[in-house]
Order: sequence, then structure tokens, then C-alpha cells
Amino acid sequence: MPDLILSGVSKSFGNTRAVEATDLTFAEGQLTALLGPSGCGKTTLLRMIAGLEDPTRGTIRLGEDDITDLPAHKRKFGMVFQSFALFPHYTVRENVAYSLTIGGIAKPEALEKAQTLLDTVQLSGFGDRRIGELSGGQRQRVAIARALAQEPQVFLLDEPMSALDAKLREEMQVELRLLQQRLGITTIVVTHDQREAMTMADTIVVMSNGRVEQVAPPKEIYHKPANAFVADFIGKANFFDGEYRKGAVNIGSFTVDVPANFATGSPVRLAIRPESACLVAERGQNCIDAEISFVRDLGPVREYHLRTDIGPLIVEYAGTDGMERVAGDKTLVHLPVEALRVYPRAVA
Amino acid sequence: MTIADDIDVTAVAPKTPVRGMTLKGVLYGTLSTLMVVFCIVPFLLVIVISFGRKVDGAGWVWAFTFDNYQRFFVGILWPDEVTFLYLQQLGYSFYFAIIASVLAVLTALPFTLLLTRLKRSKQAIWLVFILASLSMSEVFIVMGWDILLSNNSGLPKLFQVSGLTQWLKDVGWFQTLRDIGLANPRNVKFKPSEFATILTMSYLVWPYAVILLYPALSRLDPSLSEAARTMGASRWTVTRTVTLPSIRLPLMGTTLLLFVFLLGSYVSVSVFATPDKQTTAVAIYSNIRGSNLDAPFGSAQAVILLISASICLYFGHLLNSKAEAR
Repeated sequence: MPDLILSGVSKSFGNTRAVEATDLTFAEGQLTALLGPSGCGKTTLLRMIAGLEDPTRGTIRLGEDDITDLPAHKRKFGMVFQSFALFPHYTVRENVAYSLTIGGIAKPEALEKAQTLLDTVQLSGFGDRRIGELSGGQRQRVAIARALAQEPQVFLLDEPMSALDAKLREEMQVELRLLQQRLGITTIVVTHDQREAMTMADTIVVMSNGRVEQVAPPKEIYHKPANAFVADFIGKANFFDGEYRKGAVNIGSFTVDVPANFATGSPVRLAIRPESACLVAERGQNCIDAEISFVRDLGPVREYHLRTDIGPLIVEYAGTDGMERVAGDKTLVHLPVEALRVYPRAVA
Repeated sequence: MTIADDIDVTAVAPKTPVRGMTLKGVLYGTLSTLMVVFCIVPFLLVIVISFGRKVDGAGWVWAFTFDNYQRFFVGILWPDEVTFLYLQQLGYSFYFAIIASVLAVLTALPFTLLLTRLKRSKQAIWLVFILASLSMSEVFIVMGWDILLSNNSGLPKLFQVSGLTQWLKDVGWFQTLRDIGLANPRNVKFKPSEFATILTMSYLVWPYAVILLYPALSRLDPSLSEAARTMGASRWTVTRTVTLPSIRLPLMGTTLLLFVFLLGSYVSVSVFATPDKQTTAVAIYSNIRGSNLDAPFGSAQAVILLISASICLYFGHLLNSKAEAR
């Protein structure tokens, strides 16, 4: 199966630019997650790939073939919709066999293949049921089986877990990932849930305001966010606005050493993950006086909300450091240089 | 003194039920009386009169005879001769109503589908326009169509002046129009004809079709047809296999409703249909209010029309239930 390549693809609705010019390559057999907040253009991008929206500019290629103007029914990309879009007037088996029967395969043969697909998604005994008789998770499996029936070159999923409850969602994320790995289909998943993207994807495309902010594997997205938006959107982060001065950032009267190089006087935004900062007893590099304002015990982690000279800060501890601190305690917080990320900041 | 002593028992005591019951009773009683007087009594009267007897050269008298029903099915000359004139009229009632209602639904369906895809503001304008058109009476609409289809000032004249009639003659289609009764030797003619009758009847109920289909079509999930398209279905296949089955119930319901409505259509049939293709509704009018003054037979025809419509509705419901069960 060839790569899917987007070159300068953009989409406007009237005067509104839904997707800025985008260049992306979806590697063969990989699962890519389009991640971003609501209205960032990820679904529009997916719909352009599916052929349900025409790009305003740019080209979409599948390997060497330009499919930009190819209508949706000729692309035959399997797609799972947010609402699952199962046909209520057909049984489960007929739904799965739909693409086969309209493709000219004899009905008995199509139904037989549909049954095999239902076995694959662990719905063997559900073939004769009506869609209304299925739970949310079962409907999602039917939608997946139906999309896979036509043996698509590219498999598209638009927020496939949003209709499921939290527990089922986690189970289905793992199941879907295992199924995708087993079948080896190039898969694109749209989601606004960073946990879902981190669980399933080989590559994450973070989008905001119709623009691609970063394309990278989950680990890199988390540990090396390309900008403040990605750092904020993926996981949690503490942010501080300051000014860059020779290997350090001045935040008010305090100076924090940073591993970055900017022009002196540049306005910058400093970011650090809550689990990267730590509470210490002895003063050292990048140690700041702090007072604990609130402690939150979340089971696997404990969260300390601190008041510091550079602003409020959250520190997260997994397990225990042997010191039980409570609200009102005075302490020192250490911001390790290697954990700090510095981003340019626009000044209004 | 306890708190209990402070409570004013009379203030919380339930009001005497007599007053509340009386008001409620009067309201329900009035409504029930109105229903009985204006709906059930006239209906029962029609049934009772249908068993009455016509007095030659005069009005009718109360009686209990099945002669009117017998006349409807086998004709007035029975047993000497059997005629099916009234059954034929009933047949034309069904014929016109079925074709016109199906035509109205078939043409309203694509329009309503397109309407639901417009912006909300534009949808509202169209719906207001369509609702406004419902305020026009059947007489007004038929008068409009009568002028539009008239030989001297309507479409036939336009055909002649624009040279379309001559063109039809040149290409040989004029003879076909003559064969189906839509042309005389000189020009096209649209009335009286089945074509004009059905067209007017369809036009009459077309806004109803749009209004009845609109809620179901606007609720139709667009992702259903999109899903079908991503699975390789062409637009026609999507319509055939997804859209139409999804709205089967509202489609059937709308068609049945329009059909029943059109069974009683009077003005369009009396203006546009040829005398040999008049319907039961027209016959009922001429018996009760027209020259015949035979209210018992007119009532019997009305009862039979009502029963026939009920049977159709029942079969429609049965078909729906079977389709649902499948």
C-alpha cells in the first residue's frame, strides 16, 4: 500500500479558512492521529482525504496517483464516522456486507465475508440483530467491520471513541490499535483526546486554528513540544512569561537558567511539565522559594500547588519522596535546566 | 404553645372539591358536547340518512333500506340490468387520488431534500412561502390552472404563438399528444383531461407534501449517505439503498395522508375531468346539493368512500408494520 501525501492542501468556507496549506505524509501501514481542539480543522482535513470535501487548494496523492478530484465513492477509503452512521434498516450482517453487495459481489458470498469480519471484531453471534439492539461498543465494532469490508487502502476514523464511556473507550483504543497492527492498514484517526492519540498512534499531528503545529511520534510530542500550544495541549505544563538574557530567562526579579538561545531581550515563554519540577531541601541552580497552597492526592500521583516569586506552579510526584508536606509549608522548588522548554512569545 | 398550635389549619386545608370539580366538569362537558354536536352527530346523521329513501319528485324520508348501497354496487336497474357506474366513479376517485398523491410526493421529495441542505435562514423563507401557499383555497388554485390551461389565453395559445405546436407537428410528436387526448387537430389542448386533473390535484397537495416530509428529511443524518459514498455507492445507489429506506415511513405516511385528502377533491375533478371520469366526491355533491336531490344515495356514497379510505389506510398500516418487522 502506497503512502498518502498531502501537498499544500487547504480549505476555506466562504471567508473562513478552515485548514491552512498543509503538507503531510501518512506513511504506509502506520496509524496517524490528527489531534487538536474542537474547530481546529482536523475533521475537515479527514473529510478532504475521504473525498467528502473538495480542497480549495493543493493536491492529495496516493502513491503516484493524484486523487484530489476523485469522488468519495471511487476512492473507497474505509471510514468510521463519529456517529458510526450504521444503516438502521439493515441487520448487522447486511451493514457489514453493504460495500460488497453494491460492489457487485453476490449476496450469499458478501454475507459470508461479512460474517468473517464480524468474527474478527468479536461479534460472531450478532449478525442477525438490528442496529438498535446493539450497545455503543458493539456499534463501533460493526462500523469498523463495515469500513474494513471493502479492504480499503486507507482507513479513516473520525472521533470513533467519542460516543463511548470512559472505560469502554480505553479498551477499544487498545483493541483498535491491535487490529490495525494486525491488518497493517494505513490509518488516520481524528481525535481531540490526547490520551487516545498517545495510546494508538505511531505519529501524532497536532493541529490548531487550521494549522499543523507539530508532527512527531507521541513520545517526542510530549517531551519535546514544538511550541507553547503543543506543550499546553498535550499533557499539563507550567508556563512563565519572561525575557531572554544570555542563557537565562528573567521572570520578574528572578533568573532561570535555560538550555536555549534567543536574541537578548526577546520575549519568551518558559514551560516545564509538573512531573519534571521537584521539591528540594537544599538550594541550587534554578531553585526557587515556594509555599504550598494546596495538596491534591490523586492516588498514583500527588500534586502540590505552589506560590512562588515567578508565579503559581504545580509539581507532581509519582509515588512518595518520603516527605509528607501539607498546605502552608515553606519549601524550595527545583526547575531542572534540561526539563525546561523555551518558546518565543508574541507581545501584544 | 406549640409550633403545631401556630399552624393555621384552615389555610392549608384542601379546598372543597365541589368548586374545582364543577369548573373542570363544565369545561370537559362543554368540549364533549361540542365534539358530539359538531363531529359525531353529523357523521351519524350521514350514516342514518344513507339508509333513508328518496321520494320521487320530492325530498327523502327516514327509512331503513339497503337499496342505496345495492344501487351503488350493481346499479339502479338491478336485477334487470347490472351497471357499475358508481363503482367506476369510486375507481376514478382512487385512480386520480393515487396518481396525484404519488406524483406530489415524488416531486416534493427532491425539493425538500434540497431545502434541508440550504442555510437555516433560507429554509425559513421557503417554509414561510410554502405555508402561505396553503392559505389559497382549492377554488382559487383551480381557477388559476383553468386560466393557465385554457385554449384561448393559456399555455395552448403560448404553444401556438411561440411555434412550439408547429415544431411538435414537424417532429411527429403532435399525433402522440392527439392519441392521448392532449391535442385537437389544430393545437395542443390540456383541458378537460386526466393530465390537467392530476396536475391540479398534485399542485393542490404539493405544499402539504413538503411540509409533511420536511421534519423527517431535516432529521436525516447526512453521515449515513456519506458513509455509503465512502463505501463505493454512487449518488443513485445512496438514494436507493440508504436515503429512501431511511425515510420509508414518512414517505408512506405522507402519501397515504395526501391520498385520503385527495379522495374528497371536488373542484379540480369537476372542472378538469371529462364527464365520463367524474369521481364519487363529485357524485355525492350532485346527489345532495345538485339536481338529483337524493340525499340518502349521496350519504350512502359518502359512507362507502369513507370505508374505502379506511380500508386503504389499514392496508397501508399493515404494509408498514410488515416492512418494519422485516
